Amino acid sequence: MTTLVKPNKKPRWQKVGIGSYFVLVMFTVLSIFPFYWMFIVASNASDAVSKIPPTLIPGDRFFTVISNVYEAAPTFNQSLLNTVYVGTVVAVAQVFFSAIAGFAFAKLNFKGQRYLVLFVIGTMMLPSQLGIIPLFILVGKIGLLNQLGALIVPALVTAFGVFWMRQIIDAQIPNELLEAASIDGAGVFRVYWSIVLPIIAQSSFVLGLFSFLATWNDYLWPLLVLRDPDNLTAQVAVNQLKSHYAIDYSLNMGGAFLSTVPLLILFVLVGRRLVRGVMDGAVKG
Amino acid sequence: MNFKKLSIKTLTLLVGASLAFGSLGGLSPAQALTINCKDAKDDGNGCTVVKFAYFGDILNPTLIVEYRKLHPEIKIEEQKATELDALQTRLVTECSSGGVGNADVAAIEVQYTGYWKTKSQCFVDLRTMKTTVGKKSATDIKKDYLDWRWAQGVAHDNKVIGIPTDVGGLEVAYRWDMFKIVGMPYKRDEVSKSWNTWDKFISVGKEYAKRIALPKYKSAFTKAKTSPKGFMDNVGSIYAAYLNQGTAKYYKKDGAKGATIYKTNTAIRKAFDLTLKADANGIGTRIGQFSSDWRAGMLNGTFAVILSPAWMLEYIRTLAPDTSGKWDIATIPGGGGNQGGSQLTIPAGAQHKQEAWDFITWYLAPDQQLKMFTDKTFGGIFPSTKALYTNKKLTGEADEFFNGAYVGKIYADGIKNLKPIYEGIKDRCIDQEFGNALSLVINKKQKDAGKAFTGAISAIDRKCR
Amino acid sequence: MTQPAVSAKRKAPSPWKQPKPLKKQNNPNAVLSLNGKWGYLFIAPFFVMFLIFGLAPIIYSVYIAFFNWDPLGTQDFIGLENFQILMEDPDFWLAMSNTFEIWLLSTIPMLLMSIGLATVLHRQFLKGSTFWRTILLVPNITSVLAVAIVFGQLFGRDFGMINVVIGAFGFPHVDFIEESFPSHIAIATMIIWRWTGYNALIFLAAMLAIPGELYESASLDGASKFKQFFYVTLPGLRNTITFVLVVGTIGGLQVFAEPLTLGSSFSGGDAGQFKTLTLYLYDRAFIGSQWGYAAAIGIMITVVVIIVSIINFFLTKRISSDTK
Repeated sequence: MTTLVKPNKKPRWQKVGIGSYFVLVMFTVLSIFPFYWMFIVASNASDAVSKIPPTLIPGDRFFTVISNVYEAAPTFNQSLLNTVYVGTVVAVAQVFFSAIAGFAFAKLNFKGQRYLVLFVIGTMMLPSQLGIIPLFILVGKIGLLNQLGALIVPALVTAFGVFWMRQIIDAQIPNELLEAASIDGAGVFRVYWSIVLPIIAQSSFVLGLFSFLATWNDYLWPLLVLRDPDNLTAQVAVNQLKSHYAIDYSLNMGGAFLSTVPLLILFVLVGRRLVRGVMDGAVKG
Repeated sequence: MNFKKLSIKTLTLLVGASLAFGSLGGLSPAQALTINCKDAKDDGNGCTVVKFAYFGDILNPTLIVEYRKLHPEIKIEEQKATELDALQTRLVTECSSGGVGNADVAAIEVQYTGYWKTKSQCFVDLRTMKTTVGKKSATDIKKDYLDWRWAQGVAHDNKVIGIPTDVGGLEVAYRWDMFKIVGMPYKRDEVSKSWNTWDKFISVGKEYAKRIALPKYKSAFTKAKTSPKGFMDNVGSIYAAYLNQGTAKYYKKDGAKGATIYKTNTAIRKAFDLTLKADANGIGTRIGQFSSDWRAGMLNGTFAVILSPAWMLEYIRTLAPDTSGKWDIATIPGGGGNQGGSQLTIPAGAQHKQEAWDFITWYLAPDQQLKMFTDKTFGGIFPSTKALYTNKKLTGEADEFFNGAYVGKIYADGIKNLKPIYEGIKDRCIDQEFGNALSLVINKKQKDAGKAFTGAISAIDRKCR
Repeated sequence: MTQPAVSAKRKAPSPWKQPKPLKKQNNPNAVLSLNGKWGYLFIAPFFVMFLIFGLAPIIYSVYIAFFNWDPLGTQDFIGLENFQILMEDPDFWLAMSNTFEIWLLSTIPMLLMSIGLATVLHRQFLKGSTFWRTILLVPNITSVLAVAIVFGQLFGRDFGMINVVIGAFGFPHVDFIEESFPSHIAIATMIIWRWTGYNALIFLAAMLAIPGELYESASLDGASKFKQFFYVTLPGLRNTITFVLVVGTIGGLQVFAEPLTLGSSFSGGDAGQFKTLTLYLYDRAFIGSQWGYAAAIGIMITVVVIIVSIINFFLTKRISSDTK
């Protein structure tokens, strides 16, 4: 007979009180409010923002503002599409290269490995702004300036991705599995392809999502290398809206809103996986 | 076709016609008539994309449309930078990588011309370019332009790197209706006379600031839907205004790069102190120009005075359309001044230098500059072509928005006596440091003006070297 | 794997410490039956690309730090002069203090709130836990630019929502853009908003990895809720706290896009209130055209990041070992 655990034997602190829910609700409100505010400003007249008390309800000018955005930046949609393209390519590449490198660091044994791992970790400490100018010159010399390729090529690999995949593979793939396969005669490639990849598929997808997000939100580098209105990405397009007479808040917010909505939609679809991914990657940390 | 039957005349006509159409990038006559390059992304299909990098309001959409009608095979692609420094960064980084990514036409602003004059290798020498029609080079069109504006586009090695766009000029836009409410002189001539020196300007400001606080005017202000808080938007604008009225700023002519005089030029300290005196007398509202509060300030009458170059009038028109008729223009203390102005250049890495030159010469020709001035929906830009200063269309037009002021004439008179000021390589950097110092004192973060000033000098030594 | 010899000074190995790996093996977790030589091939793409696009530009930057480098003008070798001037540069030290103040203002509250949130989420009978966890990540997916635009407006002096609330309580409006300390609060708020949820998830994952038996045995020993938190939860989170702190430090000391957008310029505002280290680097590089000096700043930033990370690392190890 199994022993029943009576509910009232559970220590008091494990019951969930109102206080906890209150904290969570407050946190949710604070997290969501900026988005809501973005929408409010983007749907009201520009000077509605300069009023006390401020407007708290969405106005009726949303579509006007959106059409203003498109008028000020006719290639805005193109910019969003460009970002989807760049984000996808970069995500796929980063996952691919990080996974194989992460696998090597996690499960293979070769000389100098520890130093190489430390090297990878060390590079994460370098400020990205340090090399930005020479990188600009380099990208120019290989003819990628002004092209979306300038965003893709330098971003094909990431130290963070390698480190993360190493953690994931370490945590998710038991050595016994690989040992058994290699005893059966499988080579490294075969092991990687047939055993490792399927197991890390979920986590790889998550890494890809984070890469995609990072590319979507990348601001400084695209600002530096892209100029043609047809060849912009999301953040640059939003930034361009600032080149108006004076700060037009509803226009800026409209642009910010348009560039954020695709992410919110994506998040509704895959948010739970992202959460899982963050938590998985944290366990070993 | 039976060639034997054609006369010489017809033949010539045919040859001429096909040559003319041939110049349209090899299109057949039928194609040339129906071509639409408006949405062209790249060269091809008979279209040439000419890239125009600029900031602010340098590009006039009406003229762009007109140019497209004249040259349907050309598309002017607008590459607008968010602000001046962003454009400067772009030009520097592009030139440093050999011109990769260069636009075909690039605007450079007067605050940076001092820098670019020492880097003529980044631009095409416009004396070597010849327009497709008329074979005109820079040397040929020089006579059309105001001398000191032309000089701003000439590098220290005498290469002509840019053609002048507009002239900023500097006068004062003021809310005559607010002046009237508080019982101060509000008619153009009276106002101009009441502040023909900077000290008088400050006194007028002080008086105005005093009066707007009086309860007896309160209902009149409410009725006019205004809530005044101060005299002018930002006293910081006095610094540049005063300094540009002089003959020297931060550098003097000396060899290829000029020599710095910011430590010895007493005019700088005078401009600095004058600005702080204005602030001490409480005549500014501390609202930053081009900020969102500035726009609200125009609409609500928070301030009544803006030191305005001609291009500023357009900002007022666009940002505060409801205040039409309530502004007027008075002359600036000191009689005239200048702020801003740009040159259009062809960067060395441009892909379509010929088309760029054809466009620039057309765009900045006297006829077009006049249109830029008279086109009030996106205009009011004051021309740099001298002949227009006696043109009735410029001087004889009363501007409704500004209470019927003869804007053209006022600005034309104001720039007559201006003298050129030598532009140095780090002018903008130095400007910004002195501006920072002024802000520190005005925003009460540094009580000692002298300290702020010397702090600026040492910052300049360090950052603008 | 054999346990290493335990020196007399150290306590008995805690369940939290991983046994030290043997020094002889390159990778203690490796599957030795697999041919390790393939490792070189697998890591090659990363290293090749990184060398070209990551390392080479940095080496070049380090090189030009010893020059007075005007990209379009003269490039004179001046040795350590850039660094000498930097050490006496009040703007550099202002950037340093701004960066640290922002870092402190953001890291400490964020750490406390993340752990607190994780504790709440850790409750066994919490309803809708998936929903709450998902909400945590929403701030993190937005772009810094969009966030800065929104918060910049919310923190406005005259009409920003936050000042409206402050005013409603009868206090004078705070100028979150022009004043130094409030401006740092504004930026810290953005950083906290963005990262609290993300880090809460990380802490939650770490908390879930703490074996329930430890809590049960502690409560059987009569430990109160607080004591359990300090003696069971926190030590269990030690590694995670270190991780979050170090990563947060590396990112936090390089804060860039927020001050740039709120301050609307590379100079960091009139009083330099928004001047952070990386913003100053950018300012010198792109506005001042002093590439050599900017590179020197970059090198100093790296040095600072490394030093602070190491301090962080040892500090958290000490603090949590003190609570044993």
